[in-house]
Amino acid sequence: MFLALHEIKKEKLRYGLVIAVIMMIAYLIFILSSLALGLANENTAAVNSWQSQSVVMSKDANGDLSQSLLTQADVNKVGDKQADLLALTPGILKHGSTRDSAMFVGVDQTAQVSKTIKLSQGRLWQKPTEVVVSSKLADQGVRLGQQITVGLSQQKLTVVGFAKNAEYNMAPIVYGDRSQWSAIKGVTNSFVGSGLVSQKQLKTQQSGLQVYSKAALFDKMPGYSAQNKTFVFMIAFLIIISIVIVAIFLYILTVQKMENFAVLRAQGIPSSYLILNTLVQTIVMMVVAVVISMALALGTSAIIPAAVPMYFDFTLIGLTGLALVVMGMIGAIIPMRIIAKIDPVTVIGG
Amino acid sequence: MESLELKEINKTFGSQTNLVHALKDVNFSAQSGQLTLILGPSGSGKSTLLTILGGLQRPTSGDVSINGKNINRLTSKEADNFRLNHIGFVLQSYNLVPYLTVAEQFALVNKVKRSGNLDQTVFDSYLDRLGITQLLAKYPGELSGGQTQRVAIARALYTNPDFILADEPTAALDSHRVDEVGQLFKDIAVQEDKAVVVVTHDLRLKNYADKIYQLVDGQINISEL
Repeated sequence: MFLALHEIKKEKLRYGLVIAVIMMIAYLIFILSSLALGLANENTAAVNSWQSQSVVMSKDANGDLSQSLLTQADVNKVGDKQADLLALTPGILKHGSTRDSAMFVGVDQTAQVSKTIKLSQGRLWQKPTEVVVSSKLADQGVRLGQQITVGLSQQKLTVVGFAKNAEYNMAPIVYGDRSQWSAIKGVTNSFVGSGLVSQKQLKTQQSGLQVYSKAALFDKMPGYSAQNKTFVFMIAFLIIISIVIVAIFLYILTVQKMENFAVLRAQGIPSSYLILNTLVQTIVMMVVAVVISMALALGTSAIIPAAVPMYFDFTLIGLTGLALVVMGMIGAIIPMRIIAKIDPVTVIGG
Repeated sequence: MESLELKEINKTFGSQTNLVHALKDVNFSAQSGQLTLILGPSGSGKSTLLTILGGLQRPTSGDVSINGKNINRLTSKEADNFRLNHIGFVLQSYNLVPYLTVAEQFALVNKVKRSGNLDQTVFDSYLDRLGITQLLAKYPGELSGGQTQRVAIARALYTNPDFILADEPTAALDSHRVDEVGQLFKDIAVQEDKAVVVVTHDLRLKNYADKIYQLVDGQINISEL
């Protein structure tokens, strides 16, 4: 500890530069992680808010809830009578002269799902011609009391509230009465909805129906899995790069100090002390770099435009930061092995 | 009286075809209160001898003993402890940690060896005699060659060792500084009752020696003063 801290204090520029490089990588990792979470959240926020465990939909929809069509007979086949029948469809939301992509989610007012909707402004719909829309649409110019139309329906719907965490597969949600759905989607009244959302783990062997867990539902969302895998790959690659960079820096710093270490070994200072010194130095550098980059990433998220979806999960960011510190310690293995093998004889005889 | 003794020491390097016999049947002794000089040209085996005296290498054959106790078979950890507690090394270069001030060089020793170091009053008098009291806040890069060597000597003395082993301590010093360092080693040997062994090819140090060994091609002979 003594040697480690004094060296950093004396060699501020050298260690400052090393910390700056690690900090930039950590910053990139945190930004990518929060972007990945932000994007994932735009796919999953609504489903998570519904507190559902499983979804029953038509087999032909291949896991895409907005493509599923259920008849009343299909609904009757499902055992869970507490499950909520939801009716989804993507559609263009028209407000004034503006058009925005949206996802209409038709829910019965008595359904459990409607109770999970968290309002940021206004109230829940009370009439079939009232809707609650995602607060994201407020940024697009939608106002309380404004009349809108969705999809193929010409029915004017009045916005009575804004909901938080109301995104499905990247699209802002328009929550409304299920009775509006068939007109918006343009299907006959023989279809009553898209899926049954249950807070239980359902199992059904009924023909024409398929049960998906929440995780399976997300995986089947168009683009969701590929997008997540891309981010995971980038983050994993950056973490590996961070190990290599830490190893290179520590290797160079250690090689530059070999003669001094050899003299200290000759003077009887145990190699364990010198190894611990390198480990402490690594931890100090990594912790400083990670903490600064966390603060920078938080600052960035505060000033970045709302159109860029960033979501900070402090547990995940904390764990990623911890992983980076551990990776730094792994990167210190090579320099520590070099120190363990220093032969003090090399400095005798100049 | 502390004594460091080598008996019938042989040291070889390499294998059969490339065998180098660095030390041949070397007998040597150094006692406290004396400055012992080992003179010899480059490649004569001086450094090998010093590393064996300091417990950094084991001889191929022969005995190394301190006060009659054989130290040939020390483990790596025991050898570290032995050097930390009994030996003060003064080397040709890299003696001081570049990112520690002179005062911190001693503080580092305190971190590793928590007891048995010189008490502050005694050590202050050493610093005074070595003329480095005013250098305590300086970094090695701010010291001259002579000042660096004096700080290295103080660093070696700080652990209160029985033996001071110096490797070419006057290399790169001018004549005036050579006399200064020679007298200093002599004073340490006599006044502090330490056994001081200096390996050198600098004949100017002969004036200060109590005993001189001549090492040529791995063979040692005691030389006339």
